[in-house]
Amino acid sequence: MEVSEVYVINSALIKIDRHFNKGYKELANEVVSEVISKSGIESIDLVVVSNMLSDCILDQLDISTILMQNLGMTKVRTLRVETGESSGLAALEAAWMAIKSGAAENVLVIGVEKVTEYPTYKINKVYGKVLDYEVEFIRNITPPDYAALVMKAYLKKYGLKREDLIMWPVKMHDNACRNAYAQLSFGITPEKVLTSMVISDPIHLLDTFPLGDGAAALLLTSGKAVSNVAAEPVKVVYVDSAVSAQFHLREDLTRLPATAVLASRLKEKFGDKVFTEAAIELHDSYSIYAYIILEELGLAERGKAYEIVSELEFVNVSGGLKARGHPFGATGVYQVAELHKLVTEGFAGRKFDGKYAIAHSMSGPDYNARVALLQKLA
Amino acid sequence: MKYSIPKFWRRKEGYYQIILTKCRECGKVAFFTYVRCPYCGSSNVELVKSCGRGVVEEFTISYNRVEEGEEYLPKIIAIVRLNEGVRVVGELVDIDLSEVKEGVEVEAVLRRFSSDDPHGLIYYGLKFAPVIKGA
Ligand SMILES: [Zn+2]
Repeated sequence: MEVSEVYVINSALIKIDRHFNKGYKELANEVVSEVISKSGIESIDLVVVSNMLSDCILDQLDISTILMQNLGMTKVRTLRVETGESSGLAALEAAWMAIKSGAAENVLVIGVEKVTEYPTYKINKVYGKVLDYEVEFIRNITPPDYAALVMKAYLKKYGLKREDLIMWPVKMHDNACRNAYAQLSFGITPEKVLTSMVISDPIHLLDTFPLGDGAAALLLTSGKAVSNVAAEPVKVVYVDSAVSAQFHLREDLTRLPATAVLASRLKEKFGDKVFTEAAIELHDSYSIYAYIILEELGLAERGKAYEIVSELEFVNVSGGLKARGHPFGATGVYQVAELHKLVTEGFAGRKFDGKYAIAHSMSGPDYNARVALLQKLA
Repeated sequence: MKYSIPKFWRRKEGYYQIILTKCRECGKVAFFTYVRCPYCGSSNVELVKSCGRGVVEEFTISYNRVEEGEEYLPKIIAIVRLNEGVRVVGELVDIDLSEVKEGVEVEAVLRRFSSDDPHGLIYYGLKFAPVIKGA
């Protein structure tokens, strides 16, 4: 049986912000309207909605159904996907599989998250549920605590000082200054990182992401339908995901096991240079993870990622989770939308002409990791 | 009611003492009561009780403000290497922030985690405290 190819033909995103005057329906509507208009697509077979916290924050189950009812799209197939912080790429994974299998031709992916309905301490609480509720959450362990333990293990293993790991947030804020959709589009100095509030020592406030509302959408179509559309299509070559062991079962905290598995599988399929020839958006929920992800993907030697941060031209052009923002379930969809724009019309003041574009996402301390490989058609 | 009573009751063994899952297939041992070996997936496992003592290998002092957890801040989250060789992550109590360091010998102690104030249940679980020498 011939499998269908999958293409992104349009993408839309809004500025991540505290949208107090808008609910998730308004946010989703903005990106859906934009992504469908001028796409040349007449009917949509499937809508995959990515959202992490609707049950906890919006008091809403079955958000995909309710959203379709509110958008006047009651005849379409729809489902919600939730895999913690990587939900956005999981939604792309589901859409990609649906088109690959021939079950759908035109698929709309919506990532939407509305986190500013409550104060930060309440969101911090529910965010902790990406960890094992019975083993970790209930025993007062939160995601930044793990990031702190990873950072300490990393500093110890490679004999580094805390100050050696301060350029990532600076770089991300600098990138975000050129991204009109970023939540934190202002520059910071290295000194500011270490004088910002301590979250879990040695993780400071400026090592982590801000809380903000966001929505992004992608329109995907099969190889059969792609010739009918005017836009510049970008192929979704491959989407993959893996799960890693729980934190206390890991002997080496300086590795991210699921990300490592995906990196080796992608290299096996597409060559050792797949990451070095790509524009990448990676999951820097805490800056220490960014350094380790760079190492897992083979962009830096172990323990030396901090030395190459300033040279990274096409990694997190958006400003990353750190400065673009991290509207949980929407983040993966943002990454793909940003990469789609980066290789077509240009994004955040830049355009990428290389072979591949790769989105990397994960949940918690790499409890699951996901990657999507995109390729611009020559 | 913040927590489900059946959920707590069902896991009481694992919340009130440190239980390890020992795999008869791969031989590995893991903290917590797993239904299958988290390393190899075998269901040929047995639950064994830990002596509850170990050594702090790494720790973080956390100010992360989480709803209903404010009264416990700052909290110390530590990686403890149990005498059985297994790692567990847990909260460290009864110790000055200035005295926390790697190598501190600790033992599991029963402490309050939360409560359904003012008239509800009090939820207990294990945290770690320094071993009192000579005690
Ligand atoms: Zn086993």
